[in-house]
Order: sequence, then C-alpha cells, then structure tokens
Amino acid sequence: MSILVNKSTRVLVQGITGVQASFHVKRALAIGTKIVSGVSPQRGGTKYFGVPVFNTVQEAVTETKAEASVMFVPARAVKSAVKEVVEAGIKLAVMIADNVPVRDMLEIKTMLKGSETMLIGPNTPGIITPKEACLGIFPENIHQPGNIGVVSRSSTLTYEAALEIDRAGLGQSTVVGLGDDMIIGTDFVEILKRFHEDDNTKAIVLLGKLGGMYEEICAQYYADIKHKKPVIAYIAGTTMPFDYKMGYAGDIITHGKITAEHKREVMRSSGMIVVENLSQIHEYLSALK
Amino acid sequence: MNIHEYQAKKILQSYGIKVPEGAIAYTPGEAKRGAQRVSPHGPWMMKAQIQSGARADGHFLEKKAGRKGGIRLIKHRKDIFTEAEKMLGSTLVTKQTGDKGKTVSKVYIEKYYKTKQMFYAGLIINRNVPCITLLITPSTTNVLELAVQEPDKILYTNLGLDDEVTVEQTTKILDFLHLNEKYRDELRDFINKMHKAFLELDAIMMEINPVGIDSEDKLIALDAKISFDDNALYRHPDIWQLHDDYEDDAGTLKAAQYGFGYYKLDEGSIGCIVNGDGVALSMADMLDAHGEQMACFLNVKGGVDKDKISSGIKIIMTNPRVEGILINILGGFLRCNLVADGIIAAASEVGLNVPLVVRFEGTNKDEAKDILDSSGLPVIQADSMEDAVVKLVKAMRESD
Repeated sequence: MSILVNKSTRVLVQGITGVQASFHVKRALAIGTKIVSGVSPQRGGTKYFGVPVFNTVQEAVTETKAEASVMFVPARAVKSAVKEVVEAGIKLAVMIADNVPVRDMLEIKTMLKGSETMLIGPNTPGIITPKEACLGIFPENIHQPGNIGVVSRSSTLTYEAALEIDRAGLGQSTVVGLGDDMIIGTDFVEILKRFHEDDNTKAIVLLGKLGGMYEEICAQYYADIKHKKPVIAYIAGTTMPFDYKMGYAGDIITHGKITAEHKREVMRSSGMIVVENLSQIHEYLSALK
Repeated sequence: MNIHEYQAKKILQSYGIKVPEGAIAYTPGEAKRGAQRVSPHGPWMMKAQIQSGARADGHFLEKKAGRKGGIRLIKHRKDIFTEAEKMLGSTLVTKQTGDKGKTVSKVYIEKYYKTKQMFYAGLIINRNVPCITLLITPSTTNVLELAVQEPDKILYTNLGLDDEVTVEQTTKILDFLHLNEKYRDELRDFINKMHKAFLELDAIMMEINPVGIDSEDKLIALDAKISFDDNALYRHPDIWQLHDDYEDDAGTLKAAQYGFGYYKLDEGSIGCIVNGDGVALSMADMLDAHGEQMACFLNVKGGVDKDKISSGIKIIMTNPRVEGILINILGGFLRCNLVADGIIAAASEVGLNVPLVVRFEGTNKDEAKDILDSSGLPVIQADSMEDAVVKLVKAMRESD
C-alpha cells in the first residue's frame, strides 16, 4: 500500500524524448513503473524505450488510459503542459521543472481550481513508491519499501530523509516532494491526509523550511486529527535571518511570523515531534519501532 | 531583480500613473541643468539613487555630505550644485544597507509637489492564497514594522489575475484612508494601473510610498520601488536592460548567468555548494551548531553542464571571505560525476587554497567519488551532511 502512485498506476511522460527525460524514464521503467505512454509533439506514432509516443496528452489518455503524468517539460512550457493534463482529465501531474515564473504558477493554480487534476511541484523530485513507481528524478538506489511516509518542501532534504529512514532500518511507503518554490501545486495538508488514510503508512517524516506559512497551516490541520499517526518534523533555516526569498514582502504578509522557530513552536504544539537536526530522525524512528 | 526609483517611475508613467517631472544626474553640472528643465523655479527634491528603502532617514559616512539624509528638499537654485556635489560619490547608510552603506553614483532631481494627503500603496505576491495582494495604509513610514506591530493599520485586498479592483473594494479603501468620495474614480484608476503594470511586467513587488494627492486633486507617485521575478526576465529584455550591475554582489551576478542561485550572508567564512535551497538552510543550521557560520551558498539546482558547474564552483573558490568549502550534492536530476568533473576543472584553473569537503549521494555517486580520489586533489570526502560539517570544521581548525 502507498499513496498517490503504485505499481498499477498508468503513467504517461510529457516530453518523453528529451535528454533528461530519457535518463530518468529508463530508471523509472527499471523499478517497475507502469509507463504506458509518452507525449512529444511531432513524434506521435513512434516508440521510445518500447513506450508508444503521442502528439497530445488527450490522444495518450484515449489510447492508453493514462491516469498520471510526469512532466519533463522546461519552465517555459509548463503552462501549456498543465492545460493539456487538465483538459484530458489526468488525476495526478508531477511538474519537475524549476525556474517557473510566479505569474505562470498563479495562472496554473487558477486552471487547477475545479479541475480533477492534482498537481505536485514545480521544482520537485516528484513522487516515488519504492520498487513500484517513480514519477520523477529520485535516485532510486536510496529508496527502500517500508511504512514511513515522507513529505517534503525541499528536494534535496527529501533524499536526506530517505537516508535517515534507511539508517533506522526502515523504508518508505511513498515519498512526495512538494517542490521548493514559492507557490506549489499541492501543500502538506492534502498529503498528510492521504498518509493518514493509508493503512501501510505507520509514521510520517515531514520536512519544511523557512518561508511561507505552509508548515503553520499543516500544523493546524494536524492538531485537529483525532487518530494521529506520529509525525517527525524538521524545519531548515533556523539560523537564517528571515524569509530569504520573499524577504520584506513575505514578512509583511505574515506579520513577521515567518521564522523557522515560529514554525517549530506551532508544529510542536500541534503534537508533532520536531527534531533539531536531520540526523535525529533515525533515532526517533528507531524509537517508534 | 530590483531597479532604481527613477527607472520605476518611468515604468509607472508609461502605464499612465502620474509621477513628478524628474531628471537623473551623475554630476553636479547635470543636476543643475536637470533642475532647470524639470522646474525652472523650484523647489526641488534631490534623491540619492541607491537601491534601498529608508533613504530619507539614512546618513552619509562622509562629513562633506552634511548631516541630512539621502532625500533632500532644495528651495534655492544655487544650492542644487552644492547639494549634488555633497551626495555624489558619498556613502549612504540606511537601515537596509548595512553599516558599510552604498556609494551614491547618481541623484534624481524632481519637481517638488505639495500634497494634501499621503498614503502607502503596495502590491505583492501572496503565496499563502496564492494571489496578488494590495496593501494600503495611511501610514507612510515603516510598513514592515507596522505589519508586525499593528497589522490592523494595513488594509489587505486580494486581487485576481484578470480582475480589476471592484467597486466594493474601492469603497473599503476610500473609507480606510478617510478619503473624500470625489477621489473614487481617480483611486480606482490608479490601483488598476499599478495592477496592470505588476502583471504585465512579472513584478513580484511594487511599492508606491507615498502616493500623494496634489493640488490638482490628482494621485501622484512620489516614490516607487519595483522588484521583478528573475525567472520571468526572459520575457522582458527591456527590463533586464535596467539592471544596475553596480548594485549586486559579483557572485550573485555570475551565478545568475549560469542559471544558479546564490545567496550571501553578512557574516561567516564557509562557502557551500548544494543542489537545493533546503539543504543549504539545513547546512547553515548545522554549521552554526558546530560554531561556524556560512558565508554564502551556491545552488547549482539541476545543473547538467560541466562547464557551468565548474564556473559556479569558481565563484565560491575565489570568494576572499571563504576559508573552507563544503560541497553537498544529492544527485537526482543532477549527476554527481558532473560535479566531480566541475570541481577538478575549477581547482585546476583557480587553485584550491582552502580545505574542501565533498559529500556525494545519489545518482552516479560511486563514479564521482572515484573521479575525486584519482584526481590527486586534497579533497576530503564525507558520508553524510553532518560528517561533512564535522570534517570541514576540523580541517579548518587544523589549517589555522
């Protein structure tokens, strides 16, 4: 069991013929990801790694019943890529690209409203259910199956968490990278909810960082859950002076309550275990066993 | 990316917002001629063009610049030359510049406008909703302090992407500012123009502080500040042209050229290279716990070009403040072997004169470790982030 994706999820790859996509598609196929189709304009009718390629997402969905998409498209093309998946009724889309303009994300958020599509990213390593499905760019050799859920707002810290889980002799049910950017498709709350609904997930590792109020909102949600699964949370950026990305503007919106320390306080009082240091994660996990 | 006040005003003017007549001057002579052009009889405002807020409350480091701040009201024509002489080439320190201040290389001379009333108007990206949020407050001093201490004194209005400000929203703003009903259309028009410019130019922040109401009952932007989304600058080559290289740290500029992120801290002696901001933040915390501080970090993101990565590494290697380097790469999209090649290329070009600890994990890690091992470079390899921090701190103390 897992959340969002498993070995029977029918995956399509947007931009499948690109150099980066090729590298990661090969690896995704190797761990068993059920990639049923690829999309690459003007390459329709060909095959790539044995996967049929279509010109549009709609064709791919009609022909191969794809239900999730991983987008290997550059930042400048993400808007039209999202438009396609929304119109084709894709349930889950993962946007790998970084450097997506804020305004494009605002437009994308508007497109997603009322649609059936859940967007993960941008600027994310994606989603992996170890040994079943990888929609993204995870280094698959560090992910082992197990019953710890991981949700993270930092790409590289996601890998650190996987290593910590490994150190504790455990594995992951599913790992979800929400994306490093200012505006993201899906936040902690939705993923935390799914982990609570998944019988196989026994505990959750949550990685947050300075900037925005995603962690605070998530803590509020967690505080109200009746049957809580243990959440081990880590927040990066305690020693940074302020929201280094949004700076001033971020501070005005959050009335200055933007410090990592504030996040930690709120999370702790919601019932989460907040660790000071990444390498404490495996200790707490071992204690949970 | 940030621009200067005079550039921001020119942009606002092109969207139909009223701004004072002004002229930019690099020399006292230009200031004198500019003043004549914008307002033959004065009075004038002379404003130091450095990219910082709170210029009026700032002070100059040099005695010759006088006691007044970076924004001065000038009543007599004969004073223009001397005041410009005082400010130009002097160093202005404000709350935002740090103790070293910034050198004033140009001043902006404007016609002085008498105002009946003033207020603050700002547009920012609100990532919590997400949307664009309009901030309005009658206070024109420190908006950030106000937001922290008395958030009720700021009116927050969320605006959509396509919508203009509504009649109801305008009414609220009028009431909040205790503005006369006769300013309704003028106010609405002013905000819509700001919003339009903000959207079309991919701004992430726009502040007009203050907006004044002049003797003709027109709203006028007396100051202006605009920040643009770096990721969208490719759509605005004309905005990119406004970039003042003089304002940015050289490292930031170079990093941007290669598509990398770079962030410099005020203190610290350790330069870090990572492929994700979260790890950089986490490393800063860990260094702090071991009694050291980060000087700067370079985020090579999902870089895939060895030459670019090597150029990025050189930025850190050649930073004079850096006494130790920590490279922590968790390969996913980015392959560790490319970074290893980049390290060797950079070191052979600029030399490696400080301790360097490298930690590789993920995609092509073993290959990368072998590359470094057989390179003959004095690189210390580590197995985890904490291991890397501990090893670097030890190496730095030993080399002292």
